[in-house]
Amino acid sequence: MKTQTRVASGQPTVITYDNQVMAESASSPLRRVIEAPFTRRAWTELGYTLASFWLALAAVVLIIPMLLNGVLWAASAGPVRWFARLARILARELLGEDIPAPPPIGPALLRTKVATPDAASAATLAGAAVAAGGKARPWETKPGLTLKKLPLERIEELAAATAVSITIEQPPNAFGNWYGTRAFDPVAWRARSYFGLKLPLAVLGLAVIAACWLGGLFCLTFPAWWTLGLGTAFGMPSLASSFAFLPLGLALLLAGPWLTHGLIEGDRWLIRGLLGPGLAAARISVLEQTRAHAVDDSAARLRGIERDLHDGTQAQLVAVAMKLGLAQEKLAETGEVDLARVAQLVTDAHQGALEAIADLRILARGIHPPVLDNGLADALATLANRSAVPVELVTDIPGRPSAAIETIAYFSAAELLTNVARHSRARHATLEAVHVTGLLRVRVTDDGAGGAQPVTGGGLRGLAERVRTVDGRIEVDSPVGGPTTVTVELPSHA
Amino acid sequence: MRIVIAEDSAVIRAGLTELLTDRGHQIVAAVGDADALLAAVAAEEPDVAIVDVRMPPDHTDEGLRAAIAIRRAHPGTGILVFSQYVETRYAADLLRMGSGGIGYLLKDRVANVAEFADAIARVAAGGTALDPEVVTGLLTATRHTAVLDALTPRERDVLALMAEGRSNGAIADRFAVSERAVEKHISNIFAKLGLPPSDSDHRRVLAVLAFLNER
Repeated sequence: MKTQTRVASGQPTVITYDNQVMAESASSPLRRVIEAPFTRRAWTELGYTLASFWLALAAVVLIIPMLLNGVLWAASAGPVRWFARLARILARELLGEDIPAPPPIGPALLRTKVATPDAASAATLAGAAVAAGGKARPWETKPGLTLKKLPLERIEELAAATAVSITIEQPPNAFGNWYGTRAFDPVAWRARSYFGLKLPLAVLGLAVIAACWLGGLFCLTFPAWWTLGLGTAFGMPSLASSFAFLPLGLALLLAGPWLTHGLIEGDRWLIRGLLGPGLAAARISVLEQTRAHAVDDSAARLRGIERDLHDGTQAQLVAVAMKLGLAQEKLAETGEVDLARVAQLVTDAHQGALEAIADLRILARGIHPPVLDNGLADALATLANRSAVPVELVTDIPGRPSAAIETIAYFSAAELLTNVARHSRARHATLEAVHVTGLLRVRVTDDGAGGAQPVTGGGLRGLAERVRTVDGRIEVDSPVGGPTTVTVELPSHA
Repeated sequence: MRIVIAEDSAVIRAGLTELLTDRGHQIVAAVGDADALLAAVAAEEPDVAIVDVRMPPDHTDEGLRAAIAIRRAHPGTGILVFSQYVETRYAADLLRMGSGGIGYLLKDRVANVAEFADAIARVAAGGTALDPEVVTGLLTATRHTAVLDALTPRERDVLALMAEGRSNGAIADRFAVSERAVEKHISNIFAKLGLPPSDSDHRRVLAVLAFLNER
């Protein structure tokens, strides 16, 4: 089984286990054509075509009269979104097309008209309003401005803070808020265009079903219809000649599922483009996820470092201090000093101090490997030398990627080489790092057992999450039996 | 003295065992987690239990919770809580249980072997041993600064030493003054804080700390 994790900008992580596709392609094309009408897919697609036609028809019947004016646009935004939701549910349940819901209707518009004593103070207030996350448009005819997205109290605060005396000419009103957010709701407008394009597609889908499924069945059973006296209507003089329709019926029945499937592919494309959150919103959602991960990741790293310090170095040093304290006390004792015992304590303390130093060195390297300061190529060479499995190193890194990218590339390589040593039973590995226009590619290949999978909580998944925070991507190709290739691609600057 | 040690770091556990054995104490059990500690205390009824605050499985405040459980089940066992950080909340939790025989020390203090041994002896005798940093933390943590501001710098110093569990004699030695002068400071402190004087060493400490902490 081949497993791929693709992380591309603007797209959530998609992990496909494509053993099913491989099994399908293994059977002969002819067999697939013959079996097509009897597969589960053909029946669900048939069901989807019928159901989605009625949905699109109902939506268009609602939408068309509501296109008359802006107030009707605003009034129909909610119902249109509701129809879009039904279409998403239908696509998810029958086509497995899981589209994330778009964001809800935007926050209140809060359009406020504010008069100011002069144009300069209007500009001051406009600056403060934009800095506070609002929108401001100065008037042309007299001093004042129209503000959006800021509640009245906030505007008064800003005016007080910038020492501008204001007169509210028109406070935000409920109708303005309702109209402003709904009439131009981009989600509703995209949904309207979806249904506008979908309806012809759905009519076509119905025609295909009528022609191929019903027509096909009719042709296949034509001799029976002929005996019922329908034959003459189709210009078939004899029962024998009516069998001429059979090949046509067969061809129609076989073509039907493929035509339906083709139309549905078009529909999927429309659904993805028009019923989802939109490109900007999808990008925001990815950024939110990766930022949350970056924050969690750095917190977890700090916690790990603290734990290492607490359990390792700090404990070691406390023990050293304890032994030295005891030795000091022995030396201060009156009477005969047990020098052998003191010597033993000092030796133990010395040993403990050495261990603490070694612990600290490992810890510091885990935080930031000093060799990375000399460039990624040197750092990767050190890494390759340290690996338990022999590693062949290929680097071509002209110019320097930004420090964050070098660090991520280094730790990715370290993690991948550790995986090779730990899990793959490989005898040989290759570490390749290439830097070409704006892209740094790190690839680790081994001749081990393969079957590597990005499981939740595992190293590969953690790596994918970290790489994703800088819009990078990771691809794992690890069939059972090997070889394994893991490729990490990072933008040079992030 | 019969002592139980609960400390998850093997290095420190071994060090403590060596140090205390060297001073003639008997280590009846040295364990690495809170459950083993509770079992050991129940089985051995030691004079003192030395307890690390952070222990497996969660490395948060397992030791402290075990200490509170020990105090409930075996009030006669002195408890010396041992931590790498000053956590005034932990100290306050412990002290709120009252009745003495309680200590809270930073791990660093073991380097000063004599003072450490002294702290154990005080806890075993039913007294108090608080780390100076813990005391400072408790004093700063208090929001009742108006009353503390009324104290002279010397009175504050005396209060801090009292809170550590020092006797009047020890405080007098520290400042090179007579014991009578210390007693005078203490009665001034009690008067300014509105506490009735008492003759029991640890009770006055607990009263002071409870006062500082509760407000």
